[in-house]
Amino acid sequence: MEPTLSPQSLGRPGLLSDLRAFGAVIRREWIIFTRYPSWIIALIIWPLIFPMLYILTARALSGPDGSGLTVFIQTTGATDYIGYIIVGTTVWMWQNIVLWDVGFALRNEQMRGTLESNWLSPTWKFSYLLGHTGPQIVSMAMFIIITAVEFGLLFGVRIHGSGWMLILVMLAAIPAIYGLGFAFASLVITVKEANAFVFLIRGLVMIFCGITFPVAILPGWMQAFSKWLPQTYLIHAMRAAAFTNAGLQELMPDLIPLLSFGVFWLVAGYSTFLWMERRARQTGAIGQY
Amino acid sequence: MSDLAIEARQLVKKFPARAGTGDKQVESSDAFAQPKKRQRWPFGRKEPKALFTAVDGVDLQIQRGEIFGLLGPNGAGKSTTIRMLCTLLEPTSGTARINGFNVVSQANDVRRSLGTVLAGERSIYWKLSGRENLEYFAALYHIPQAVAKKRVDELIERMELKERANELVEKYSTGMRQRVAIAKALLARPPILLLDEPTLGLDPQAARNLRELIAQLKQEGHTILLTTHYMEEADQLSDRIGIIDTGKVIALDTPEGLKRRIDQKEIIRLEVTGWQEYVGDKLRTLSEVSNLVARRQGEADLWEVNLQSNNSRAVLPKLVESISQNGTRLVNMNIVKPSLEDVFIHLTGKALRD
Repeated sequence: MEPTLSPQSLGRPGLLSDLRAFGAVIRREWIIFTRYPSWIIALIIWPLIFPMLYILTARALSGPDGSGLTVFIQTTGATDYIGYIIVGTTVWMWQNIVLWDVGFALRNEQMRGTLESNWLSPTWKFSYLLGHTGPQIVSMAMFIIITAVEFGLLFGVRIHGSGWMLILVMLAAIPAIYGLGFAFASLVITVKEANAFVFLIRGLVMIFCGITFPVAILPGWMQAFSKWLPQTYLIHAMRAAAFTNAGLQELMPDLIPLLSFGVFWLVAGYSTFLWMERRARQTGAIGQY
Repeated sequence: MSDLAIEARQLVKKFPARAGTGDKQVESSDAFAQPKKRQRWPFGRKEPKALFTAVDGVDLQIQRGEIFGLLGPNGAGKSTTIRMLCTLLEPTSGTARINGFNVVSQANDVRRSLGTVLAGERSIYWKLSGRENLEYFAALYHIPQAVAKKRVDELIERMELKERANELVEKYSTGMRQRVAIAKALLARPPILLLDEPTLGLDPQAARNLRELIAQLKQEGHTILLTTHYMEEADQLSDRIGIIDTGKVIALDTPEGLKRRIDQKEIIRLEVTGWQEYVGDKLRTLSEVSNLVARRQGEADLWEVNLQSNNSRAVLPKLVESISQNGTRLVNMNIVKPSLEDVFIHLTGKALRD
């Protein structure tokens, strides 16, 4: 049999095709996520475990009649110390999960062996990383809702402020939190191992951003450093929105730096990704694990 | 449109040499420096990195509709060449065109023209079903949804995966996973296919089926670049073969043309027990013997010894005499037609699977 004419590709490039490919990455991530049932247990248990450490410590330090809390209330202005702690630990958990999840998204694909087959397609490469973010945001939203429900039921924690303002603050934090994750993901592909860097970042957030205490109690140089971490503004704004009924006007001093950090980290994340992509083509890093 | 589906000119790829791994072909990126351990120069400036040349000036011109086999041992540079052609790696120097598109400046057009199966079976998602994998990659290759659905069904049918298309890939056999990987490469119906060691790890039946499929794909008009270190596979499938070793194409011809190069030689294949290296050294001193390669057969103390000779009649008595002493015994002996492996031995002095 004589060979027929060379086959013609069925692919139709264009913006719509790229968007459909992006949707396919999100769908794939979601399907794989739901096929590991242990996530349900993690989603129920983790919101409780980490804050409990601080809540029980606070309870012990406040004395049997809770009189020790007076100083805390004077310093923070917060009457609900459990709610105060939960906001801080939730932000810490959020950044921590993003670093492990989005930050290791490409690395996990690389170790699985699927990164190269994705890279071989004509799709916009950043879709692979961006696509990981969709299911991650959904699971993180579930994490935050479960946190609120569990502490509402167990400790009677209530949001006194505007839920909408709280959502707005969290939306404003997405670019900064995930931008850092994108930059991190690209570096992990290059250096292969980045556990130490995750420990460093979450350690900085834990100490400098005031997850269980007000930043005002830190020494001057530490307070100055905390202003360079977007999580500081996020925690402050979330507490204000949730427990002091702060409106948009009052939240602006936190929202503006938060969004500015967001722009910075998104640009840094995308630039790092482009640098990594270029370097990977020179060194073959995509296929090395 | 150019008649050439794949064209590479003086393709070179160098990587930084890994310290202590015994990388061969190491050179310094500074032409005047001697390869040696990197040292820190004054003021923290580092000495130029030593480089390892994985591909060294490869030229390929592959016609449309041709199956071209790239044959060579592990580490010869086959996979690096494929990775440069499919845009995963940027050449250090030289140019390559796929379907007329430059692999560096027109990378996305190259990707649209190619279906690639890389070595190994982990190029698909084990936590997705075969069908979900194909639907996912169809979207990545920008195939419109309605067309993709039809195409996925068609390929599932063709790859005989219909019964288990909705099961997770983790439950598939190696052969089934490889069929999904090939279906993935065929999704966009690309004119050119790059198949890197496609039968590696497959059982003989699965490998035979895959070779039949490759032959069919050629009949359908696909150009196929196949890398393999199985000489029978290259011989059976390829219109032309490039033999690659230490990053260089050392011979390029039709399988028959390559074998004709050693037509005047006779290939003597011996089976020997109790083989000692000094026996080999002794045989190599015989003037009628060239390219002797000894290989152990499995776990038993049975060795296959291949050698080439211009005059088997004269050399046979000497072989028998030299081998049958000090516990070394000749078990079997044949004079065989030259294979591609013998061509490779003739060209390099070593076996493909060394």
